[in-house]
Amino acid sequence: MQTPAHYSEEELISKLRTRDQSAFTYLYDNYSSALNGIIYRMVDNEHLREDILQEAFVKIWNNFSQYDSSKGRLFTWLANLTRNLTIDTLRSKGYKKQQKILTNENSVVNHEDKNFSANQHDSIGLNKTINQLKPEQQLVIDLAYFNGYTQDEIAKEVGIPLGTVKTRMRSAIIALRKLMEA
Amino acid sequence: MNKEEIISSGLLESYAMGTTSHEETLQVEWWVKTYPEVQLELAEIELAMEKYAIQNAVAPAASVKDKILSSINTTATAEKTETPVRELSGFVAPVRRIFSPWKILAAASVILLIGSAILNVLYYNKYQAAQTAATNTKEELLAKNEQLEEMNKGISVVKNKYSVPVALNGLEAAPDAAAKIFWMKNTGDVYIESSNLPEAPEGMQYQLWGIVDGKPVDGGMIIQSKSGDTYNIQKMKNFGHAEAFAVTLETIGGHEQPEGTMFVLGKM
Repeated sequence: MQTPAHYSEEELISKLRTRDQSAFTYLYDNYSSALNGIIYRMVDNEHLREDILQEAFVKIWNNFSQYDSSKGRLFTWLANLTRNLTIDTLRSKGYKKQQKILTNENSVVNHEDKNFSANQHDSIGLNKTINQLKPEQQLVIDLAYFNGYTQDEIAKEVGIPLGTVKTRMRSAIIALRKLMEA
Repeated sequence: MNKEEIISSGLLESYAMGTTSHEETLQVEWWVKTYPEVQLELAEIELAMEKYAIQNAVAPAASVKDKILSSINTTATAEKTETPVRELSGFVAPVRRIFSPWKILAAASVILLIGSAILNVLYYNKYQAAQTAATNTKEELLAKNEQLEEMNKGISVVKNKYSVPVALNGLEAAPDAAAKIFWMKNTGDVYIESSNLPEAPEGMQYQLWGIVDGKPVDGGMIIQSKSGDTYNIQKMKNFGHAEAFAVTLETIGGHEQPEGTMFVLGKM
């Protein structure tokens, strides 16, 4: 089974539709770390993280026909599937609101924890971009992207109006885009 | 919303992060199909998030890859047996599960059916209890009516303008005993109110006597209920005219001449 060095996103998608296992291997090699990063932000237990990642890839393989490229990029679909699976798994294991919806008493501590883990990444040279986002911008992005919070939930969690969440999320991503281009 | 408003709404960002509600998701998908600018903007946002995710990547343990590849090899033969947990098309996949209206309807109708069955049993039981209560009340009412009728008969005797009351007083055998005779002077009919006689012993019965021309004449047997509390004014035999009345305790059926103890006696 020969794996080419590079697939374009279109090639990869069409090969995955034909259930090409070499394309799947390529998908794993290129995306598993980023998807695992999402799981990592929500799950402490390494064994559970591995189980979720494995289940996510099995789902990606089995349900690939459900991916509709007109609705968004491949990675967005992969990331959403992984995030939702992680949230569902945590819920089914009784983690429920602990991880997903933090209580107000704990929120400050938890946000500090998140900054801490971001700093951890930074200190081992994984992340240079994050520090250049304003903390409040990073908070709304992380709550949504890594914890699956809706805008409503972010508003309640952070204690800011919904309108502010929307504008802050937008400005955060604009800032992120600029940083990524740089 | 125009294109600019859509782009600045913050919804595209939420959509790219998979946190829009089902309605919002459909809305954004429609915008993306309708406005190329919106589609372009969304693609930019997605790309930024994709890069952000790569920045935050954490490599999984090397062993995971083999596990995954071997498990898709087994599922490749048994593919499609696993039902998808929920909608994964596009990147809808809302965290909250939305139940289909039909399921809700079906569940609601089952609940209604069970509820109505329970109510049926409850109401049937209530109906039966009410039915029994109504029957009992009816019987009680009939009995009371009978009693009332008897009492009315008695009262009509007492109230009759021709009725002459004669008090019979207790004698040595039972000083507390008493009875009343109502003698109709127009007809000579005789009634007795005997509720103040002691209860007759087993096998015995009170008998009324009229003293006519100094001799006792049989006035008939006095009916006494067993419990001793439902005496009514009873019609006795007609003597025409009597000087006095007496009651003796006799063996059941009575005698032509008094043989037993005299309990009460009263003169006209």
